[in-house]
Amino acid sequence: MSESILASTLVYGFVNSVALMLTALGFSLTFGLSGVANFAHGGLYLLSGFLAWMLIHWLKLPFPLAALATVAAVGALGAVLYRVVLRPVRGIVLSEVISTFAVGVAIIELFRWKGFTTYDFSLPVFVEGGVEVFGVSLDWHRVCIVGIGLGLTALLWAFTRFTSTGLALRGMSQNESTALCLGIDSDWAAMLSLALGSALAAVAAIALLPLGIISINTGYDALLVALAVTVLGGLESTPGMMVGSFLVGYATVLTGNTIGPRWNEVVYLLAIVLVLGLKPSGLFGRSKELEDRV
Amino acid sequence: MSARLFLASMSALAFLAGCRKEESAKDAPIVLGVPTALGTIEGQDSLRAAQLAVSEINAAGGLEVGGARRKLEIASIDTREAEAGLPVNDALAAMEKLVGEKKPAAIVVGAFRSEVLLSAMDLNARYKLPYLCTIGMTPEFEKKIAAGYDKYKYHFRLGLNAPYLVGNLGKALDYVHKKLGLDKLYFVHQDVGWAKGTAAGVAKAAQAAGWTVVGSDAYPTGSRDFSSSLTKVKAGKAQVVVPIFDMPESGVLVKQARSMNVTALFAGFISPAAPGTAWSTFNGEIDGLVNFVFEAGPIPLKTPRSLHFNEAYGKAYGEEARLKLSGHGPGPSYDAVFVLAEAIKRAGSLDADAVVAQLEKTDMEGAIGHIVFNKNHQAVYGEDPKQAAASLAFQWRGGKRVVVYPESAAESPIEVAAK
Repeated sequence: MSESILASTLVYGFVNSVALMLTALGFSLTFGLSGVANFAHGGLYLLSGFLAWMLIHWLKLPFPLAALATVAAVGALGAVLYRVVLRPVRGIVLSEVISTFAVGVAIIELFRWKGFTTYDFSLPVFVEGGVEVFGVSLDWHRVCIVGIGLGLTALLWAFTRFTSTGLALRGMSQNESTALCLGIDSDWAAMLSLALGSALAAVAAIALLPLGIISINTGYDALLVALAVTVLGGLESTPGMMVGSFLVGYATVLTGNTIGPRWNEVVYLLAIVLVLGLKPSGLFGRSKELEDRV
Repeated sequence: MSARLFLASMSALAFLAGCRKEESAKDAPIVLGVPTALGTIEGQDSLRAAQLAVSEINAAGGLEVGGARRKLEIASIDTREAEAGLPVNDALAAMEKLVGEKKPAAIVVGAFRSEVLLSAMDLNARYKLPYLCTIGMTPEFEKKIAAGYDKYKYHFRLGLNAPYLVGNLGKALDYVHKKLGLDKLYFVHQDVGWAKGTAAGVAKAAQAAGWTVVGSDAYPTGSRDFSSSLTKVKAGKAQVVVPIFDMPESGVLVKQARSMNVTALFAGFISPAAPGTAWSTFNGEIDGLVNFVFEAGPIPLKTPRSLHFNEAYGKAYGEEARLKLSGHGPGPSYDAVFVLAEAIKRAGSLDADAVVAQLEKTDMEGAIGHIVFNKNHQAVYGEDPKQAAASLAFQWRGGKRVVVYPESAAESPIEVAAK
């Protein structure tokens, strides 16, 4: 491998890994805090992209304001999603999965039905221009993505450890009965985790979609990416999701630079199959081991 | 009333009703079926183009069939065949529903995906409807007609086929090689049949013409990171990159190339960069890109029919819709209705065999150039729009699409590193 390709693998591997992490962060956080696998994640991601576009082009809002409004609106929608769709089926895992998946598909297909299939939808980049990193040309927008991804992860880590709300959410995720005894409202905690996860899906969309154009299938892709890296790392483990993102991110770029990009998906799907074969709970998950022990 | 009188009255009524039915069948509009992927830009624009042609014929008094003037009518159905994972059978079921319920006299536009087109030919062979397709590109279409003429003779294609696309790209690259002195090439294409076949065909022709192919990468549909190829383009000092994609995500390629300071000329097909609105979508980052329009029309030739189609489309559907016209489908779909109408007029009936015999004699001007079919029912494409149908290539320069290929229609030669 030549020096330039090695440098490109290191730099773009890192950028792609953080992009994957950012895409999956909301899904992983919601599952980690409330145990709800929000399969509407992809739909909310796509909705965020189109909503930001509509605010910019139809209401003529400046991009930063449109971005903030989108994150707030999609976060609120996540809370509504819990109250209206999830609360009646709370605790029935299969029903939770089916109902959130149905909402996600409905959102995505609604945009297809309404004709959002043209090539007109793109969001502006945060900063124009680029920089050289280890001799590899990198645009400022990708640098911003890395900053947002790492910054948000650090913020969420601090939020769940050093704020009373964060600690309450963690308590609920660790032992719901004990948390209830301490006066933590289960519904409130789950609703908050859905709202946070949805807002994070919006942040990911606003950060990542300016790289290209917004297409309908982006919604399905976002859900698949989120599932792949969280399953690989361990569904209930946020550090696992981060490690999973880096494994998939680097595997993809390394494969592209050596064997060829057409093998990208094959290699990382193979990695997932192998990891799950050897460690069914994922790299950092413990649910299967605990079940086996019981 | 006696029984005899009652029977006579009923017989008279039945006779009158029969006459009326006969008369209404003669006056009834001729239905043209459009079973295609209406969720795609190509499908939507092709339907609109066919509708425009129907409106123009109806506005001129309709179509003369056997001495009577009849209106035309479009009946469409969404086959959804461009959606990932949709089985071919589902698309065929949609076509069968359209044929069963609307009883079309012919099909225009037709299948979007090549595998659906090939299967639709078998289905349509049962119905024996003239079928003028404009989107599916597989060369197997012609092979099938050559191998079973009697069964498949009802099928004609006005859209570009894959071999013609290869030939056009090859000729454009030949021009770049000879006139601009560039000789290192890199292929970046989608990992789907038509794009792989096109890349392989163009690579073979380019090598024969003296190009060095530095590399070739296939990307799965939906890919959003092209840094691997762009790094290799820089490392291998490739001067020209040939992108071949019809996925929306391919827009990332040009943006990423710009951000990675790749200075090579991009010349090929990136579907999101084709519409006239792409400049604002990509914030001007597609400057210098050479993109093919599979069939003329969305960007008109300087011929009366081509200019008329382009202007009429804008008047009918708005200036923005005209600018956004897809580069594949609309031009031939508009022409397909006129080609069919002329054939029916000459045949003097809707009898499929008679119409097919007349379709084979087609020799007329259209939005895509001059239309004649070869013996396997493919519209002939060439470099001179007065002799054959034409593809165009344009280069994005300062927000404008400047036609650079073929030479007979070019406004300017291809430029490298256009500002």
